[in-house]
Amino acid sequence: MSKAVLVDITKCVGCGSCAVACKMWNDLEYRQDSPIMGKESKLDAENWTNVKMVEIEKGPEKETVWRFVKNQCLHCEEPACASACFSKAFQKSKDGPVVYNPTLCVGCRYCMLACPFDVPKYEWSKVIPLVRKCQMCPDRIRDGNSPACTEVCPTGALTFGEHNQVLNKARETINKDSKYIKHIYGEKEAGGTSWLYISDVPFDKLGFRTDVTTQPVPRYTENIMHLTPAVGLTWGALLTGMYVYNRRRNEIAKEEHSKKKNDKKKK
Amino acid sequence: MDEQFKLEKKVTRRSFLKMMGGLGLAGITASIGGNMANASEQTGGRGWLPEQYQSSGTWPAQVRGRVPIAPGNPSIARDDKKCILCGQCLEVCQKTQTVFGYYDLPIIDDIVCINCGQCALWCPTAAITERDDTDKVMQALQDPDKYVVVQTAPATRVALGEEFGLAPGTFVMGQQVAGLKRLGFDAVFDTNFTADLTILEEATELIKRIKGDINKPLPQFTSCSPGWVKFCEYFYPDLFPHMSTCKSPQQMLGALVKTYFAKKKGIAPEKIYSVAIMPCTAKKFEIQRPEMNSSGHYWDKPSLRDMDAVLTTRELARMLKKKNIDLTTLPEEKYDPLLGEGTGGALIFGATGGVMEAAVRGAYFFITEQQPPANLLQLNPVRGLEGVKEAAVDVPGVGTLKVAVCHGMKNGRKVLDAVRKGNAPYHFIEFMSCPGGCIGGGGQPRSAVPPSDEVRMARINSIYQADARMKKREAHENAEVLALYNDFLQHPMSHLAEELLHTDYTNRGKRFIPLQA
Amino acid sequence: MATKNWSFRMTPTRAVLIALAAIGGALMIARLVLGLGPTTNLNDQWPWGMWIGFDVLTGVALAGGGYSTCLMVNIMGIKKFAPIARAAMLTSLIGYLLVMVGLFMDIGRWFNFWRPFVSWGHTSILFEVFWCVSLYTTVQLLEFGEVATEKVGKRWHKVFKKMLPALLIIGVLLPTLHQSSLGSLYVIEIGKLYPLWWSVLLPVFFLLSSFFVGPAMVTVESLLSARATGHKPEYGVLQSLIKVSGYLMVVYLALKIIDLFYRGAAGLVFLGNLEGNMFLLEIIGGIIIPIIICFTPKLRKSKGGLAAFGILTVAGLVLNRMNVVFTGMSDYIGGSYFPSAIEWLVSIGLVAMGVLAYLFVVENFNIIPKEHHQAYEEQDAVRHSA
Repeated sequence: MSKAVLVDITKCVGCGSCAVACKMWNDLEYRQDSPIMGKESKLDAENWTNVKMVEIEKGPEKETVWRFVKNQCLHCEEPACASACFSKAFQKSKDGPVVYNPTLCVGCRYCMLACPFDVPKYEWSKVIPLVRKCQMCPDRIRDGNSPACTEVCPTGALTFGEHNQVLNKARETINKDSKYIKHIYGEKEAGGTSWLYISDVPFDKLGFRTDVTTQPVPRYTENIMHLTPAVGLTWGALLTGMYVYNRRRNEIAKEEHSKKKNDKKKK
Repeated sequence: MDEQFKLEKKVTRRSFLKMMGGLGLAGITASIGGNMANASEQTGGRGWLPEQYQSSGTWPAQVRGRVPIAPGNPSIARDDKKCILCGQCLEVCQKTQTVFGYYDLPIIDDIVCINCGQCALWCPTAAITERDDTDKVMQALQDPDKYVVVQTAPATRVALGEEFGLAPGTFVMGQQVAGLKRLGFDAVFDTNFTADLTILEEATELIKRIKGDINKPLPQFTSCSPGWVKFCEYFYPDLFPHMSTCKSPQQMLGALVKTYFAKKKGIAPEKIYSVAIMPCTAKKFEIQRPEMNSSGHYWDKPSLRDMDAVLTTRELARMLKKKNIDLTTLPEEKYDPLLGEGTGGALIFGATGGVMEAAVRGAYFFITEQQPPANLLQLNPVRGLEGVKEAAVDVPGVGTLKVAVCHGMKNGRKVLDAVRKGNAPYHFIEFMSCPGGCIGGGGQPRSAVPPSDEVRMARINSIYQADARMKKREAHENAEVLALYNDFLQHPMSHLAEELLHTDYTNRGKRFIPLQA
Repeated sequence: MATKNWSFRMTPTRAVLIALAAIGGALMIARLVLGLGPTTNLNDQWPWGMWIGFDVLTGVALAGGGYSTCLMVNIMGIKKFAPIARAAMLTSLIGYLLVMVGLFMDIGRWFNFWRPFVSWGHTSILFEVFWCVSLYTTVQLLEFGEVATEKVGKRWHKVFKKMLPALLIIGVLLPTLHQSSLGSLYVIEIGKLYPLWWSVLLPVFFLLSSFFVGPAMVTVESLLSARATGHKPEYGVLQSLIKVSGYLMVVYLALKIIDLFYRGAAGLVFLGNLEGNMFLLEIIGGIIIPIIICFTPKLRKSKGGLAAFGILTVAGLVLNRMNVVFTGMSDYIGGSYFPSAIEWLVSIGLVAMGVLAYLFVVENFNIIPKEHHQAYEEQDAVRHSA
């Protein structure tokens, strides 16, 4: 069954345990110029998740609040990266994680372009580079555990479970408590994702892309791909028809020309 | 000719078709094979997590994660590379200090932290350490225009030696002074000086409260532990009137160096760079408190700060080692005059119960104008590592002085809750944020990780033994302090004393959402 | 039997081209040895840069002259365009080979280039592009086999001639699919690509523009190659050929305008910002002015007019592809990207190699029609008499 994680932004205190756990579990490097926490942090080849600090003016009194946003791959239900990968290096596993298989990767980076959340990052400095992003700890999930990051969260900001359970918990939470914005980010965005967010401040202030299409991104190219066989066969038939027709016409013209020549010779 | 041509044609056509057929078959096989070869190689997952995160799934756990540290925290810093998510920092913050987890979420615009640095002592890899200020101080020392003054807290002289291999509690006061002088400090003063001063000011305040001369409630709380003060500001701001208005000895000395000392020596106060060697990480926060610029107000230059830098015991050891100064081979040297004298009562400030004992000695003398009896020079009920200690001292002509002592904020909470309920029949309560008192401060050497009572007791015993050895054991015996009053302050809680040596507090209760009762 | 003589006239220009090609070649090896980071300015915000934007996307479009000519001459039987057919197809073949090399340079795990042949990511537009371009280049090589075997390996000539009809048909079908697919690649950028360029009709726009740039490319390359080889360009053919372009451009422009209004993006054209201005430049310079030239007989029939048409249309196409890949994405992406020196030199080196290959083949094989010119006159006579 597909698993999901709920991120409750109101419960995050910015401790960074999740980001450290990710580095530990995936054996990722720490880089001085690429912090995993703070205002300047971002995802990159060695940062599969980061905790970004945002200072926001909240409410009618515009009081300044600190909020911490955990970023990582959202593991879409219908991932654009998997659809865009022409060698099937990205696949949505049935447990939920969108997993990367480096053996099949050609390094074309179309996945990076396709992702509506700009998640996949690249190892530009390596001679044999990989695409890097959160894998949602598929081996941990297979063993019945939760991903490393959700495991270590001290405040309960991250909840792991079956997708529909997690979605229900999100709904219950935002409906019971008036401080939450009445929106679950990831419920409909990009056709639905496995990582859902609830918050007490507007999502655009937290740096989320709020103009993401609700139709799964692959649907757009699917429609085009479905046309291909039809177009191909029709056009192919038309071309063959035209070719045969014109060759026949030339043959007839040649025959008549040589007949006339022969006639002339005879005379 | 035609037949041959036709034969050729046939051959070419057949062989052509054969070739295409062969290629096609090969292609299809490869494609099927390729599509089925769903190599299960994955990226990531080659690392590890501590045991409590293995096979726990969504079961609850005792300790998960680590403490949040705000980006601008002046006292502590964390190197994520060294963090192994052992959870010790969280455990001490939550269970010993009762800070983490004692506020509701979401946070507002502050990470509730009292800067005590216990997390730095408990962190097994020292991923959390004090924020390093050694570069700042080295720079000042090398600046010929700066007159660099340093003061040393009592708790540091029974611990600094540990960084050089000496047994916990080894008394290295003289060597510490020698080391500081060799580092190039222009004047080396003793925080004990102002500890004595604090006793005189605070005992005076206590007596005024008891007599009703000032309209402030009892019990009075001590105010020299900046971690404790911040804790009170967060969680018990309603009890501010109980808090003594006295600054900590460090801050008192800071103010006096840039006024009293500067005047006496004819040095421009802006040229003075004032440093303190402290067992405490919260002191790095304390010097930044906006109101700690009394000397600036004195000179009408509000940008002048009373203190410029705090170095922990560990940082001092690092500086000495960098300069190849071996503490163990140094001779004993004396503090510089004017602000260098301290009594035994000042020395015991470093131990839990020490401030109380010294204050009791002082109060007794003030009230009775007599030397306190021997039991007040060894007030056992307030000594030791018990979480909450009580004592009752008979003061002739007044009655029984009831006092309490607690250390570690879990114990502090108990006492504060009692005060709130009106269940605290004391006149005076000593609060220390760190278990064991200052000798267990966040900046002390990590001679046991996590800190052990054995090391704490070694340091505490060393302090009390040193106090017992001293000729002067009461604050009012401090000649330099008396001179200070004579020449400068006039008397305790005088107008000038109020300006330079007393302070007020900031309500931080609104910086977080309190837990539902 | 004429003896095989290979010639390659050396001129200063050709020497420069050889130097550029050599530099490009050396840098290509450097890129394979060092990786993409040290040799390009690509970054996480701009994963696709010059090598994809220019070498692949623009390269494939410009090389489309081959299929449009093939469609007109061989399938629709418009023999009038026959003289330029071989030149067009050669340009196209060389173009596609350069695209493949350029692409090979860009993919990070180049040793895995064969994976999509056996691991079918069939939901991806890139899959379709990959297969199509691979098959089409093969087809073009086989088509060129017919030309090559006039001089070398003559016993294979009949084989190639037999395959030709099928190859010709496939050789028009495949480009139709992948020229449009290159546009479809950017349909997935919904919300990211600036609305002046994003549309579900992107494949149609790319297909149409790849078709009408064919004659323009043929014009440019005919005029240039005529100058280089001393042959006279086929003005009559060309000015008739570009009319085809012209009609398609009108269709393209109409579709574009309708699409803009339908999506409510028409207001963005005259905003005066970078995107608006680049869009106007692309449309006015690359579509409207060429249309005017094409349908003004005086301009169309003049040498200057032809040249202008060719250059403007080609430039307009290049600008359009650049706008889709760079201008149209820059607002969303932020960050910055400008190709590194190595990226420039590799692209320039590849173009130099292409030009050199073209010149060599033209000098040694039967590309520019001398005999065909005669045959054409004969056929013309036949038609008129019939």
